[in-house]
Amino acid sequence: MNCDASNPHCNPIPRIIFFIYLSLFPLVIASRNLKHSSNTQLDDDDSITYIWPLPSEFSFGNQTLTVDPNLSLAIGGNGGSSSIVKEAFERYKLIIFKHHSKLSKYGASYDIGKLNVIVHSANEELKLGMDESYSLLVAKRDDHSNIGEITIEANSVYGALRGLETLSQLCAFDYGTKTVQVYKAPWFIQDKPRFEYRGLLLDTSRHYLPIDIIKQVIESMSYAKLNVLHWHIIDEESFPLEVPTYPNLWKGAYTKWERYTVEDASEIVNFAKLRGINVMAEVDVPGHAASWGVGYPDLWPSPSCKEPLDVSKNFTFDVVSGILSDMRKIFPFELFHLGGDEVHTDCWNSTPPVKKWLQDHNMTGNDAYQYFVLRAQDIAASLNWTPVNWEETFNTFAAKLNPQTVVHNWLGSGVCPKAVAKGFRCIFSNQGVWYLDHLDVPWSTVYHADPLEGITDASEQKLVLGGEVCMWGEKADASNVQQTIWPRAAAAAERLWSNKESASSGNTTLTALQRLEYFRCLLTRRGVQAAPVTNYYARRPPTGPGSCYEQ
Amino acid sequence: MLSMRRKFGIEVVDFDARHSSNTQLDDDDSITYIWPLPSEFSFGNQTLTVDPNLSLAIGGNGGSSSIVKEAFERYKLIIFKHHSKLSKYGASYDIGKLNVIVHSANEELKLGMDESYSLLVAKRDDHSIIGEITIEANSVYGALRGLETLSQLCAFDYGTKTVQVYKAPWFIQDKPRFEYRGLLLDTSRHYLPIDIIKQVIESMSYAKLNVLHWHIIDEESFPLEVPTYPNLWKGAYTKWERYTVEDASEIVNFAKLRGINVMAEVDVPGHAASWGVGYPDLWPSPSCKEPLDVSKNFTFDVVSGILSDMRKIFPFELFHLGGDEVHTDCWNSTPPVKKWLQDHNMTGNDAYQYFVLRAQDIAASLNWTPVNWEETFNTFAAKLNPQTVVHNWLGSGVCPKAVAKGFRCIFSNQGVWYLDHLDVPWSTVYHADPLEGITDASEQKLVLGGEVCMWGEKADASNVQQTIWPRAAAAAERLWSNKESASSGNTTLTALQRLEYFRCLLTRRGVQAAPVTNYYARRPPTGPGSCYEQ
Repeated sequence: MNCDASNPHCNPIPRIIFFIYLSLFPLVIASRNLKHSSNTQLDDDDSITYIWPLPSEFSFGNQTLTVDPNLSLAIGGNGGSSSIVKEAFERYKLIIFKHHSKLSKYGASYDIGKLNVIVHSANEELKLGMDESYSLLVAKRDDHSNIGEITIEANSVYGALRGLETLSQLCAFDYGTKTVQVYKAPWFIQDKPRFEYRGLLLDTSRHYLPIDIIKQVIESMSYAKLNVLHWHIIDEESFPLEVPTYPNLWKGAYTKWERYTVEDASEIVNFAKLRGINVMAEVDVPGHAASWGVGYPDLWPSPSCKEPLDVSKNFTFDVVSGILSDMRKIFPFELFHLGGDEVHTDCWNSTPPVKKWLQDHNMTGNDAYQYFVLRAQDIAASLNWTPVNWEETFNTFAAKLNPQTVVHNWLGSGVCPKAVAKGFRCIFSNQGVWYLDHLDVPWSTVYHADPLEGITDASEQKLVLGGEVCMWGEKADASNVQQTIWPRAAAAAERLWSNKESASSGNTTLTALQRLEYFRCLLTRRGVQAAPVTNYYARRPPTGPGSCYEQ
Repeated sequence: MLSMRRKFGIEVVDFDARHSSNTQLDDDDSITYIWPLPSEFSFGNQTLTVDPNLSLAIGGNGGSSSIVKEAFERYKLIIFKHHSKLSKYGASYDIGKLNVIVHSANEELKLGMDESYSLLVAKRDDHSIIGEITIEANSVYGALRGLETLSQLCAFDYGTKTVQVYKAPWFIQDKPRFEYRGLLLDTSRHYLPIDIIKQVIESMSYAKLNVLHWHIIDEESFPLEVPTYPNLWKGAYTKWERYTVEDASEIVNFAKLRGINVMAEVDVPGHAASWGVGYPDLWPSPSCKEPLDVSKNFTFDVVSGILSDMRKIFPFELFHLGGDEVHTDCWNSTPPVKKWLQDHNMTGNDAYQYFVLRAQDIAASLNWTPVNWEETFNTFAAKLNPQTVVHNWLGSGVCPKAVAKGFRCIFSNQGVWYLDHLDVPWSTVYHADPLEGITDASEQKLVLGGEVCMWGEKADASNVQQTIWPRAAAAAERLWSNKESASSGNTTLTALQRLEYFRCLLTRRGVQAAPVTNYYARRPPTGPGSCYEQ
């Protein structure tokens, strides 16, 4: 749920102070349109400010303001004193003031010395539909006004985080004066996300990703205002997670070093929370689970036929229940992904005891697939989790699914329209456009995809939670995962955050490409290995020498 | 310290890493890998736990250095990355204190600085007052090397959730084989943001490399601020792809805290077209921009101004003047320059020599030892400043010739140590040797070491680390470790497993090190699998 005037449960941000500003300055009102010329980007005299993803409403002027490297934080509102805000402020100070600033020789003082952050609610619960809206005002102090220099106002701390990110993108180090400047001030931005679920999938089963690498990914997600890390922890290749109730499970890790302790996982969840990012864990049953049997071979139909998990044994569901119960203590997010994709029931039909069980219960392989998924859904629901399943479960037995199920599209287009027509919520990840391991999908294809494609009814559109780009790990490891994710994940991030009309109307090369190149270079300045934008194939090296801003 | 060995029943394995090749995935093994291999080490068969609240005790004249303290804090974050918990059974940790003894308070970072150290890891013992872990070094930089080795001895044990040192007691005495162990970064073909450069420097310290050769400027772009000639960095790609003086100083300081020298390069006269963006007079003509105009005094004023400004940033005694790939066509085809050559009775090659030597004089006047690419030696060796360090790159056999004439030499044979050559696998990097073809001991001493070169035509912020690692580590062991100990016998046995382990160690520390076993560098893994086997 997004906060807008029509929603009585939301507390809209007071806008009165900004109207004062609008009357004092000759502002260029440029909501829904970026007035950039395409050939000024290399001009030393330009002062263009790029923002990615594009805010929903913004206006700017023609002043250049300097920002004091000793910028102080002033807090207000019930939630202003949150440590989440304070820690974020410190992180963003390091980003904004990365280069050594020095005061002008001419004795001038800085235009902006203080950041006001007002957070109305002290509720720090990170959840689906949390209020991420914010307003941001950057303006010079003025004799006729007692308005603070920079003000971020938000209903929740997570809205304040989004505002800080936008602020950091407005601040540029000017190499001429060696000061941090905000061009085109005064800025007034009112912003909120288009979708409440803006995800990225990481796969730590095909390749183990060390916790430092996962943290790097999370940190970079926050720069693009993504808000869900879908952690596909376990798959058939390896089982890296510690499960205290079944301590042999992580014997299915590749090696004794390629593991996550409970404490590691909790640390990742906490690291993500501090950046306003939910972690949705996945346990992909019953089809992607061969690695479980390394520690507990009884989970295999037989040692020669290891998948799907043995549907005939109660032990199998005891283990599923044990895993989920242990994981519930780590992952507070209300959504939990139960997988359910690519279930080939051959092993069940070819293994005599399982086959007999099917016959005894008068089940086909598909019946048993349904039985397994629904039983797993019950376990998740009993733990107060909302189940998410890959679309095959919906495609095969929609009517039987828990009605709260979130359908996760991947196979192709047209699935979310069907799911929402039946009242299910849906996450869009059409593999043809949003699978990042598909290296032949260029940024523009990612950018033009839309989760609402084929859905026109407003009440059905509301059931589309958002979308997710998926970084499957067969050929992505610690060495190249970031350059495979970026910059394309940013293209999806803008689709998920920004109004479609404002961000991508007209010539996309004009409205988006330049900003995306700028954002890619911003990522590299923050130490993220974002690949060149203009290569057709993803994560290819630059074709030759040149500026980051043109490759 | 050597007498320590008798106190423990420890196996002495100098010059040999006795690893079995098929135990690496065994859950019960407790093998410790170290990269690069120390020159002398011995170990036992105890497993010791390390307290996550490990304390630092310092000793010696240099022990109180902030360089040591900051490094200790960095390494604590590395060693105790995972949450440790005390065993349920109430046992205490075996090791609670790290003693660092640094004999000299001299913190000058320079060529030939003493990087030796000894490291003892042993349980306190009733019959002994020896501290639990002791690093002893003559300089703070030796202590840093010892801390790195210690961090590689410490492993997080996922079973007990404690940091453990396997095969204790350990006694290591270590020192580098070569004093110059370099990596070249090229920030002209692609600008590398300072965060990326810091990531590279940090990772260099893990492999005990000690010189960042910063090829800052080339014909494509001029990113560095030069206060004396403030238009020079107009030659940057964009107004954002620049280094201020303060940025460069910060990089030098960041490197110093990790025991790494920064050798800057200004590659004259052949790789300098970008200079003329700000000062077009430096071009022979707007249509013929390289080499720098040899005929104008202004050219040398600018060289002198650049070097004078850079001298304030770069304290390292070596400064690289380039001098490679000088094609003098522009000089001969531009009438005023051609006339100048004729007036001075010079050929193009004469003028090339004239330029290089004049630049050497400027560097020497600033108390810098000049380094030049090998073409200068190949073309006019007898005229070079006798202090010149010859930097090999074109092929093999150059260092032997250079040291035979009394010059010092740095080995970077492009066939084996150019990291932009993606078709050079780790083993080729590993088997190269800077002393190849040099047998005389006094001549061998003139080989300062070697350097792997990460030219930036196709390497930018997105892929520079995965192009550097793991191959730079192969060179790093060649430069640090005794050749006999590290690579005798079957290299797959003695080196490959350790290198795979080191690659995974890099990834655990957040470094984008590419798979080891791919033939071509920086290729993605070929399929799912363990880091330790790819």
